Order: sequence, then C-alpha cells, then structure tokens
Amino acid sequence: MKTVALFLLCSTAFALAPDAPADPSRRQTVTAKPDTCCCAPPIPTAAYSAKSLYQAEGSFTDDAGRVFRLGELRGRPVVLTMFFASCGYACPLLVADMQAIRAKLPPAIRGRAAFVLVSFDLARDTPPALAAYREQHGLGRDWMLLHGTDDSVRELAALLGVSYKPETGGGFSHSNLITILNREGEIIHQRAGLRGGLDETVAALTLANRE
Amino acid sequence: MSFRMPIVRCGLTALALASAVKVLAEDTAALRLIPAGTYEPLLRSSQDPARIPVAAFLLDERPVTNADFLAFVTANPKWRRSLVSRLFADTSYLQHWSADLEPGPAAPLRAPVVQVSWFAARAYARWAGKRLPTTAEWELAAAAGYDRPDGRNDAALKRDLYAWLARPVPAVFADATSLRPDFHGIRGLHGLVWEWVDDFNTAMVTGESRADTTLDRNLFCGAGSAGASDTTDYAAFMRAALRASLKADNTTTSLGFRCARDTAPLNAFP
Repeated sequence: MKTVALFLLCSTAFALAPDAPADPSRRQTVTAKPDTCCCAPPIPTAAYSAKSLYQAEGSFTDDAGRVFRLGELRGRPVVLTMFFASCGYACPLLVADMQAIRAKLPPAIRGRAAFVLVSFDLARDTPPALAAYREQHGLGRDWMLLHGTDDSVRELAALLGVSYKPETGGGFSHSNLITILNREGEIIHQRAGLRGGLDETVAALTLANRE
Repeated sequence: MSFRMPIVRCGLTALALASAVKVLAEDTAALRLIPAGTYEPLLRSSQDPARIPVAAFLLDERPVTNADFLAFVTANPKWRRSLVSRLFADTSYLQHWSADLEPGPAAPLRAPVVQVSWFAARAYARWAGKRLPTTAEWELAAAAGYDRPDGRNDAALKRDLYAWLARPVPAVFADATSLRPDFHGIRGLHGLVWEWVDDFNTAMVTGESRADTTLDRNLFCGAGSAGASDTTDYAAFMRAALRASLKADNTTTSLGFRCARDTAPLNAFP
C-alpha cells in the first residue's frame, strides 16, 4: 500500500512537471538537489517569488511522521487552515468548509489541489494524533495534516495573519481563516470567519490553479 | 627607540581594527538573569488565565543596537535592506540607514536598531544563538522597578516612564545603554523603543475596534480597558494595543527588540 501511495505521489509530481511556471523575470533556475526518493523527479528548484510563503524555512512533520516543508506543495493550488484537533467548535466547521470547497471544485482542479491542516497544538497534535484525526474524518491522500515546532508554527501563523493563544482549558482561541495559495505559494484569497464565502473561495482556487 | 614607534602604532592600529572587526562579527549584548515569577495579563478574556507562571530566563541587558544589526546583515546578505524579501519586511525596513551596510547619522552604532520586522528580529536572534522573549517574559522583566523586583510602586520608574510616553519619537535615538538599569540590571525596557516579542500574534484583535492599522503614533490608543487587571497601567495598554495592531512584516520608527535565552546550559542547544 505504501509503495502504491509513493508511486502515485511520484507520478503526480511527474504530471505536474511539464507545466511548471517559467517566467524568467521572477525566477531563476538553480541546480537541482539530489533526489530523496528512488523515483522522485527533481523538486522544482527555481527561486521562489517575493510573495511566496514557501520562502519560509520552517519544518513540519506530517501525520505519517515524515519531515515536510511547505515548499513541497509548489505547483499545486492549496487550501490551508490552521487548527487543533481537539477543538470542539470552530475547527470542525473549518474542516467541513474545506470539504465543501473540495466537493465544489471541478474534478480537474480537485485532482491537483492540496488540503492542508496545520495544528498549533504542539503538545497534543502529534503525528499519531493527527493520523487518528485523518482516520476519524475520512480525509484522503490529498489532505496533509502537519505538526510543527513552536518556531515553524508561529512563523506560518505570522505569514497568514493568524492569531492564536492557549486558553486555561487546554484549548486555543484563534483566528478562523481559510487561505488559498496559488501554485507559487502566494496568498491569493482568505476567507475569514465561519460562514459563507465558499463560492468565492472555489473561484479563487480555480484562479490559483492557473497562476 | 624612535624607529620602533611606527611599528608599535601599526600594531595598535591592527589591534584596534581587529577589535572593531570583532565587534562587527557578533551579537554583543550581555544577558542578565530574570528570576522565575508570575505575569498577570492586563487584558484577558474569561478563557485566559489570570496569572501565568514564567520560568527563570536570560534577557539582554539592552536592546539590539545598529552595530549589532550591521554585523547580522553583513553576515546574512538576504536581510540587507536592498535584498530582503517583501514577505518578511515592509518597505520601510531599515529605511533610516544610509545604505545596506552603513547605518549612517540617523542610526548611531550604539543606538537601538528600529524599523525592523518581527521576521528580521527573529532571524537576528537565531543568528545570535538566542530567541525573542515571549510576551509573558518581557512583561515580567518590565515589571521590575529601579531598586525592587516589583516596580508597581516605584515612583521614580513611573515618573520616567510617563515622561517618555509624553515625548515624541526622537529623530535619532540615544545609546542603548544610556538608561538607568533596573533591579535586574536591564536597561531601556521603558524609555527608549518599543520591542517585538516572539508571540506578539497571541494578541487577539477582538478587543480592538480600530480598523486603521497604520503604525506609529496613531495606534496608541488606550481605550477598551474593561476587564483589565490594572487600569492604572496605561503603558501596558499601549503595549497591548501595539502588539495587537502589528503584522509580522511591519517596521516602525520606534520599534526595536532585544533577545532572550533559556537558562539551560549552552551545550543543551545543538
């Protein structure tokens, strides 16, 4: 199963490679890094644009325990939300909205888009806890559940404009924000709050896929 | 004897140069111990704890200076004014400096560096082997008086603090070490520049009604004191308002930073 997943991942990346953006005014090619996986194509190595969040160097771990850098999402339209798994009110609504957005996408875009949940609950949302969350919510392979360090999580929150603060009960008060990144990792749309705005977000994702 | 003088002088010049280079190659602020204590947040919702325990930590005795920051941008070209990514610093980043590697007359070497973003302050701290203090740590340190650990009733400190708040931002800042040290030997927590904290973005904007996020003087409004723990602490309101209105790429003419470190031994850090 793992091999199949790996193969699919790799073939997706291959499929993305031909239409990688190549605007010479904004990007310059640098030498490719050695591959980390047997069949991996080179990760796109052109410099990131000035507004790309992928310039951030913070490191995350996915729910399979693999080290993950946001730059790996380059080339895909991204729906990104910061949350915590034990959140009883806002976060389930945010995840439900992300699922609704996913359902509304044209299949071609849905096949490329990445749905990313980054937790600010460093203590409890370990990779195994996030794996359990994935299981419970039936989140497919196009969902990424990320655990970070205090450094990488706070930096990402600062980049997105997300405020969060631990509360006495072990929870967090936090901004409710769904962010759309284009293929270069630039913020092109944010939905603030918990209601509505899904169609606008879907439209932004369609645009994100083109940019 | 006389023929040796030039050599001696050369030696001295070389020594002076070497020490200048040394100053320019590292972060030079000394750390002081802030003993463990309790931070009582000024503004809090019903969900927030009234008292937050803070472990002992080390804090720079003064804000980071232009000389320190020059060393940092010299060693890290991507943080120079002309090269910095707009993602990490807005257009007024280090604009008061004469050039990329030249602070110039508006930014004396020994004065605190200002017009730096949170991203830049954090990158500096990482480079220096330190980190930014948290809000709780900063506020705990800043609660000290000149001659006692709890400055709430230190009349001299209050007088200096409010005199500072009443003064406009100077065109050129005084030396970072020019202010009177407090009980812990820390200088300039009040009276020089505002300072970034690592978790500035814990400040919820819900208590803040101002839509205008323009920085500097027009954000310092002390309104919204309902639910505050100490309604006389006007300066703390201003700090809370400032933090709530900042974005991480913002830079302002009166906002600098200082670094902190855990009290754990150095070799605990990889």
